[in-house]
Amino acid sequence: MSLCVLEKVSKTYTTGDLVVYALRQVDLTIDPGEFVAVMGPSGSGKTTLMNILGCLDVPSSGRYALAGKDVTAMDDDELSRMRSEHIGFIFQSFHLLPYATALENVLLPTLYLERPVDGGKSRALELLSLVGLEDRAHFRPNQLSGGQQQRVAIARALMNDPELVLADEPTGALDTTTAAGIMRLLSSLNERGKTIVVVTHDPEVAAYARRVIRMRDGVPTEQPSGRTPRPLTAHPPVTP
Amino acid sequence: MRRFISSLHQALKAVRAFKLRAVFCIASVALGISAITVIVAATEGAYRRAYEMVDRFGPDAMLVLGGSAEARAIGRRDKTITVQDVEALRQAFPTAYLLVPMSSVREVNISYGNRRHQTRVTGTTEGYSRSWSWPVVDGRDLSEADVKGMRNVALIGAQVARELFANTDPIGKFFFVRNVAVRVVGVLEERGTTGAGHNLDDRIVMPITTAMKKLMNEKTYVNAVRIRFLDARNMGRYRQEVRAFLRQRHGLKPGQPDDFRLLSSEEIIRFLVALTGSLVIFIGITGVMALVVAGFVLANLFLLSVSERSGEIGIRRAVGARRRDILFQFLLEAIALTLVGGLLGFVLGVAAGPLLKLAADFPIYFSWKAFAAGLILSMLVGLIFGLQPARRAAAVHPIQAIRSG
Ligand SMILES: Nc1ncnc2c1ncn2[C@@H]1O[C@H](COP(=O)(O)OP(=O)(O)OP(=O)(O)O)[C@@H](O)[C@H]1O
Ligand SMILES: [Mg+2]
Repeated sequence: MSLCVLEKVSKTYTTGDLVVYALRQVDLTIDPGEFVAVMGPSGSGKTTLMNILGCLDVPSSGRYALAGKDVTAMDDDELSRMRSEHIGFIFQSFHLLPYATALENVLLPTLYLERPVDGGKSRALELLSLVGLEDRAHFRPNQLSGGQQQRVAIARALMNDPELVLADEPTGALDTTTAAGIMRLLSSLNERGKTIVVVTHDPEVAAYARRVIRMRDGVPTEQPSGRTPRPLTAHPPVTP
Repeated sequence: MRRFISSLHQALKAVRAFKLRAVFCIASVALGISAITVIVAATEGAYRRAYEMVDRFGPDAMLVLGGSAEARAIGRRDKTITVQDVEALRQAFPTAYLLVPMSSVREVNISYGNRRHQTRVTGTTEGYSRSWSWPVVDGRDLSEADVKGMRNVALIGAQVARELFANTDPIGKFFFVRNVAVRVVGVLEERGTTGAGHNLDDRIVMPITTAMKKLMNEKTYVNAVRIRFLDARNMGRYRQEVRAFLRQRHGLKPGQPDDFRLLSSEEIIRFLVALTGSLVIFIGITGVMALVVAGFVLANLFLLSVSERSGEIGIRRAVGARRRDILFQFLLEAIALTLVGGLLGFVLGVAAGPLLKLAADFPIYFSWKAFAAGLILSMLVGLIFGLQPARRAAAVHPIQAIRSG
């Protein structure tokens, strides 16, 4: 079963008399285990697509189903729950809580889980060591470099073990070397079975993905990627 | 519940993180609450004093004072209650188990050897100490024989005992009241000073017969009568009956004002509450104003905080927080701050209370009531003034918040 299914999804913004199509009749399917890069010029609708994939926004028309559930008609609380259970977000500007430690930031998604989980703290520590920050657990964001902050954000995105990780220009604020480190980390997650969608302007970043979607005026077109698609064999879900 | 606890946890963390906001909110709430605390304590103190006085006065007691209220108001003390009135009252009210006439003269010179003093002399009958529940701690009480026999004997207050007899035993000693030699038969228990500053222990008590004849040159009138009734619950009825009885004896026509005044515990409470009221209103207005100001300070700082922290709100929403989780967190932050302010305000109030007592001799009593009032009010301030910013926070759209962050 496909993880994300978009059918004729449009998103419009109306400012005054002007109707802007951020997405136009988008048909798109993303399967579990895929690593997708979304590219395209500024204003082409990449972020809008990510917001809809991530249940932060709902389509103006069309249908979107995530993990077999139709999201289109969900109310705000249900959307929150979908995000909590199925989605991990990574942003260009990290968005860590400045007054919380790395560990506390990683634990943030567990606060809003419908059902409590035991051992959240040890899982968070394992995730921090997965991203190479086991010795920075009690540092605050302003005591971490940009790359380290983004690693904390990645650990946070993985905390609730979501099926889908969405990264909107995750390397946009980082230098090339650090960016490569982040992308290798995302690749390794994908190799362990996580579905990942990355928005980027950088072809080098996009090269990590096995599928590239190019957006133009709200319309996606598939573009063959440099790498050969890896067959979708069963991989164990990312543990921790 | 779990969500509530983690929300609380998050709120406390944020409270600590945004220190300047915390300091301003706490300080302004603390000011208001300290004023409120003092008010509650003052009100409670006043009531306690009132009940203390009523207790001393006797809930079953009534005081009949000679002279109309109008005459007393302009400083005249007309004498209208006669010795015969007293006897008639005694006959007419069998439920009055004690009925004690009293006549007082102030600033009477007394002396013992070369020690001199000025004091108040109260002429009365043998029931006096019982009627005021004021025990004789040394020697004996006045007796019926003392009164009937117009004897030159006296009970003395503790202050008089100190002034005239210092450390020696006064019982049986003769001293001069003006130029009358009087023998001390007993010493009254120490009573201290009333709220109005009268030293109750600065007095001597003599048979009314002796006092009227030898000190006041008076045959007919007494100043007042103190009555105690068997049943304190019927005081309202007794009051009406005594009034009607005296009006009739004094030949007052309907429409004519009373030429006497009746005082019972009810009036005492009313008087004290009125006295307290003005100060309570003053501090009350100040306190409520301070709290409202505190509320607006809080609301504005929180609104500022909401826009400053929209990134935080956005990310919380992105990882699954519902609107109400955000609402809750900000409300809890507000309430946590105002509660701390409330606690601090209570401490400030307790510290300021004694100053007020010193400055205005105002009875102040801190109890859990003042504490609870402070906490509840501070929570309400947090809840009421935190609600609008919290709703604003909950309404923050995650997409916009994340984009702008
Ligand atoms: N809240 C909004 N109101 C009005 N128009 C909007 C809004 N959000 C997005 N748009 C419009 O939708 C279109 C797509 O925006 P989107 O943010 O998805 O672009 P993007 O591909 O992510 O661009 P960038 O590379 O600059 O991030 C743009 O034309 C934008 O102006
Ligand atoms: Mg974008």
